[in-house]
Amino acid sequence: MNSAQIEIQLIASLVAIACTIPGTFLVLRKMAMISDAISHSILPGIVIGFFITHNLNSPLLILFAAFTGIITVILVEYIQKTGLVKEDTAIGLVFPALFSIGVILIAKNANDVHLDVDAVLLGELAFAPFDRLLISGVDVGPKALWIIGVILLITITLLIAFFKELKVSTFDAGLAASLGFSPAIIHYGLMSVASVTTVGAFDAVGAILVVALMIAPAAIAYLLTTDLKRMLALAISFGVLSAISGYWFAHWLDASIAGSITTMLGLIFLLVYLFAPSKGIIAVMYREKQQRTEVSLLTFLLHLKNHNEFEERHVNHLREHINWQKVRAKTVLELATKNNMIIVENNIVSLTKKGDKFTSKAIDYIITNEDAQIEDMKDDFFLFRG
Amino acid sequence: MSKKIAVKVDDLTVAYNYKPVLWDIDLEIPEGVLMAIVGPNGAGKSTLIKSILGILKPIAGSVAIYGKPYEKQRRLVAYVPQKGSVDWDFPTTALDVVMMGTYGSLGWIKRPRQKEKKAALEALEKVGMLAFKGRQISQLSGGQQQRIFLARALVQNASIYFMDEPFQGVDATTEIAIINILKELRKAGKTVIVVHHDLQTVPEYFDWVTFLNVKKIATGPVKDIFNDDNLTKTYGINYKVSIQE
Ligand SMILES: Nc1ncnc2c1ncn2[C@@H]1O[C@H](COP(=O)(O)OP(=O)(O)OP(=O)(O)O)[C@@H](O)[C@H]1O
Ligand SMILES: [Mg+2]
Repeated sequence: MNSAQIEIQLIASLVAIACTIPGTFLVLRKMAMISDAISHSILPGIVIGFFITHNLNSPLLILFAAFTGIITVILVEYIQKTGLVKEDTAIGLVFPALFSIGVILIAKNANDVHLDVDAVLLGELAFAPFDRLLISGVDVGPKALWIIGVILLITITLLIAFFKELKVSTFDAGLAASLGFSPAIIHYGLMSVASVTTVGAFDAVGAILVVALMIAPAAIAYLLTTDLKRMLALAISFGVLSAISGYWFAHWLDASIAGSITTMLGLIFLLVYLFAPSKGIIAVMYREKQQRTEVSLLTFLLHLKNHNEFEERHVNHLREHINWQKVRAKTVLELATKNNMIIVENNIVSLTKKGDKFTSKAIDYIITNEDAQIEDMKDDFFLFRG
Repeated sequence: MSKKIAVKVDDLTVAYNYKPVLWDIDLEIPEGVLMAIVGPNGAGKSTLIKSILGILKPIAGSVAIYGKPYEKQRRLVAYVPQKGSVDWDFPTTALDVVMMGTYGSLGWIKRPRQKEKKAALEALEKVGMLAFKGRQISQLSGGQQQRIFLARALVQNASIYFMDEPFQGVDATTEIAIINILKELRKAGKTVIVVHHDLQTVPEYFDWVTFLNVKKIATGPVKDIFNDDNLTKTYGINYKVSIQE
């Protein structure tokens, strides 16, 4: 690896982390779409900032653009508050309008500068190492690395300081307000961080990757955990993983880095969506199948409990008494035997002590819906895990 | 005997998008009562509570908690929102939700520590949910979620409790467990204000009642004002029939 390659991966990873942190809260607040709006509507802010500063490298530009991001949020909320349209519609109204203002401003006035729409949307990470930051003539590294590094540092500091406030206001804004943590302040704080991050990152990686990095890692992590801190950690890991693997994928294909990273995010999402241990599609299907078997098992055990007559408990008769066409009788018998719930003697099936106790307990639960007493059964049976 | 006034609401008018949903409410809630707020869906019951707690800004009127504005008295007040108002798929555990009740006394930035955790565990124990402390909240039944909310309010250790439909979707056992805790709170001198839908149980559970439907219809002791006249005024239909059914 040469130093440019390392720098690109470093920038991509830092961008991934910086986007993932506000992104996780946006996803939890069901506001993922707002990042799309911000990333597009900052364009006029950048153009106007450029007119004022005449310098594409001015930090003022970032502030201007971030400010447009906040205006977007306010506009969306304002339109939404009229009650005429839903949030996603409001977003769809605001950002194309602002974006097109930006495009027109560029077309009319900034033809001669490096500000073209393609670069804004897609960015080009491969060029990031060439734009160096010089401090009194000394090369201290790529400019993009410094910009995103500073933004990330601020983001992490804010996250650590206000984690509890972010959590409570995201989960229960009403409680947060009644406790004195103004949800509005936290909301606009989060939106400011999202805007500044978007602006700081999009020059290097483009608007589309910024949106993907805000939403996808958080969405992936959400499928894997039920703990907020772990969700943040996982989302960050997936962000960095896709940044680095995306880089090498692009290297291998000689393709756009941003595009490859987005592809990686999509791929990881697909894999997790299929294979996640409890929320994944396959796990859900397996659980449903298991639950069906367990319902049959319970029906079967209950039948045994209710009938002392031998002929009712004869292996050959069981098939007629219980609706077993749907599930293979063998599966149920095996499950019951494996758990020491039945014994079979001379083709007569009987409940063991354990089976008898289990059946009573299960029926009790189904009738009373009292949860506490079956805690231990949940580990063995899906049926009782809700 | 003149009791202290715990909550005083003056000329309160609240609007969503300039459409008033609460009109000119005057209300005095004496200290130490267990009060029901009753009224039909959309009457503004939740809105009234949210305005008292500063969650909504009224367009007119004022609220006082023991004579001072709410902002100065936050520590004295605990709140149980309507259950449907939060996302139960949020990645967090029962214990963590109860801990949120301690955030108010911590203030900005400071984090909960062992002391807060201990208080949360005690509150969970009180509502019979200690066994579920590590459970993700979406995997709790409706009644259990309601108990978690109650525990979160208990941990705030307040003087005044506002609860928005704590009996919503709970079975008889849980309802009795909850009402016993509320009665205990009253015994300890706390003021408890509950949005309640089941009119049959009002006389049994509460000693004070407020009828609300956009305007305040009546407020006072249950034994004096819980009658067909006020019920009819509030619900707009003759309640005599349905209550005796
Ligand atoms: N966020 C909101 N935006 C606009 N209108 C609202 C909003 N919240 C409530 N409303 C309206 O205000 C009125 C009062 O609502 P509120 O939630 O206070 O009623 P409620 O008495 O608590 O009803 P319920 O018994 O159904 O909980 C209703 O007409 C409702 O449609
Ligand atoms: Mg309500």
